[in-house]
Amino acid sequence: MKLLLIEDDKATADHLCQGLRENGHSVVHAATGTAGLARAIAEIYDALIIDRMVPELDGLSLVKKLRSAGNHTPVLMLTTMSGLDDRVEGLEAGADDYLVKPFAMIEVVARLNALTRRPQPNAVQTSLRVGEVEMNLLKREVHRGGKLLDLQPQEFKLLEYLLRSQGRVVTKTMLLEHVWGFNFDPQTTVVETHMSRLRAKLDKGFEKAMLQTTRGVGYRLVF
Amino acid sequence: MAALCALLFAACLGLLLTFNYYSTSAALEDQLRARIRDDFNTFTQESDAEGSESVIKEITERVARPYDPGSYFYVAGPSGAKLVGNLNFMQPKLGWQKLPPGFAKDKTREVWGQGKMFTGGYYIFAGQDASRVLSARQNLIYSYFWSGLLAAILALVAGLVLSRSFLKRIDAINHTSIAIVKGNLKERIPLRGTSDEIDRLSGNLNNLFDNNQSLLESLKQVSSDIAHDLRTPLSRLRNRLEQARSSAKTIKALHDHIDEAIVDSDQLLSTFAALLRIAQIEAGTRKSAFAKVDLSEMAERICSIYQAVAEDEGKILDCEIMPNIFCNGDRELLFQLGVNLVENAIRHTEPGTKITFAVFAPATLQVRDTGRGIPADQRTKVLERFHRLDHARSSPGSGLGLAMVAAIANLHHTTIALEDNDPGLKASVIFQPA
Repeated sequence: MKLLLIEDDKATADHLCQGLRENGHSVVHAATGTAGLARAIAEIYDALIIDRMVPELDGLSLVKKLRSAGNHTPVLMLTTMSGLDDRVEGLEAGADDYLVKPFAMIEVVARLNALTRRPQPNAVQTSLRVGEVEMNLLKREVHRGGKLLDLQPQEFKLLEYLLRSQGRVVTKTMLLEHVWGFNFDPQTTVVETHMSRLRAKLDKGFEKAMLQTTRGVGYRLVF
Repeated sequence: MAALCALLFAACLGLLLTFNYYSTSAALEDQLRARIRDDFNTFTQESDAEGSESVIKEITERVARPYDPGSYFYVAGPSGAKLVGNLNFMQPKLGWQKLPPGFAKDKTREVWGQGKMFTGGYYIFAGQDASRVLSARQNLIYSYFWSGLLAAILALVAGLVLSRSFLKRIDAINHTSIAIVKGNLKERIPLRGTSDEIDRLSGNLNNLFDNNQSLLESLKQVSSDIAHDLRTPLSRLRNRLEQARSSAKTIKALHDHIDEAIVDSDQLLSTFAALLRIAQIEAGTRKSAFAKVDLSEMAERICSIYQAVAEDEGKILDCEIMPNIFCNGDRELLFQLGVNLVENAIRHTEPGTKITFAVFAPATLQVRDTGRGIPADQRTKVLERFHRLDHARSSPGSGLGLAMVAAIANLHHTTIALEDNDPGLKASVIFQPA
């Protein structure tokens, strides 16, 4: 992916640039809001990573300007503010996702992946298919290799999110946010519990395990 | 301001008194003239009937009469010489005249009267002692002066007292504000209970000071919490890194140490986030985002997430959720409140415990368990930040879950009630139904 990083803190910028390049992306870096806006308008990027507090033009205003200019490049906003309303403000300004510093590199990569594969808003999907797994969204039924899986509602939601991620890694925080609506860290093993139940139903009796866990990183479906 | 009030008051009073003076003295003068006119009416009738001589005879008698001391007469003949009368010689002048003192026997008397010509060339002047009018006027002026003076003094004093009490109250507000600025946050403006404008202003200011105090106290609390309670995990993290540097012999061992350090720092960050969140909730700004929340739907969601979690922990989560229970509040925070209560029950009970998550009217959310409960004397303390019961110290957790619940309940103008479930704990929060 071709990415534009707008971040004034040099250490963070270097860390992000290096990490993203190691993950096979090409990164352009701008250190101020105005420079970032100029670059974002001049060239086409797959996604923008914008720090909320950059000099000259803050991240929120930058995104607002971009959006009002008709630019709909996915935006991942970075912030040190984890206030209750900050996330909402960021999303309302037009950012597509919001990540609080400090973060793990994998979190950024996973979220960028999620952003750039957003389905077209007007495309109505009635079924999802990844490898052997087929999910009928209307009947709320899931088959793997023709075998009907008996999933609980939470397991269904979890699998739906994994299927939509099309084999890419999703992190625990992403699951908590998008599957269960948590904007805080639960103190129990919510993700692990549902993941292990889903795994038991999805992979039991099949030779190949589809649901993979990467320690300290996240989960993904392999097919 | 008091002087201004007094001046205005005095001016009004002066105007009133002047009017009163003139109308009173005019009335008195009218009375006097009426008496003189009466005299002349009698004289004219008598003169017409019996001639002027008869009139002169009557005047002579009246002058001699001792019981009519206020009446004065003067009669001059056609030659102009004085014929009779109790007044000294005067020029025969027609019409109304006011004789200055000196004409009457008593030289101090002023006589007012009228001169008329009668048939036969007689000039008759009939007058009345004006001293009554004059002394009445004098008295009026005296009384007006004194009462005016008294009123002015009273007005001044009342004005002073009023404005002083007004200023005193302003001073009290000033005094309180300064005290608060200087750091005495508990100071409040005394209220008089009169519910007038100043009282209401003071009440509002006191509310402001209350908010200010609780904000500052929560800020202080957060700082001291950070200072005291985050030291332990920070030093643990530091030890781990030191150990990694000194004792890790292989790359894998080093990686393991670093992974553990990352887990530690994530835990710290999560604690920080929770602390900030509590502080923000306590700041109360979220009240503007209150809306109608479907407690039943929210509880069902929590139940369906946590039944599996409880089961994995060897506990049973039962849900008794009445449909269509609504309350007024913040959706996201109410969700967290429910999650925290359920997680608390799951984390701090023994395997085999039965946990019940209930929602019922009026807008009540309740989590009951059959665990070991919380001793009565600890039930307030567990709501404080970082307070953990002895048996909970060994289990993971930040010690912020119930503090968060308390803060969220407080934001919703309610409290969390922790009671004995006999055995176990019963935690209930009653919200405002919507």
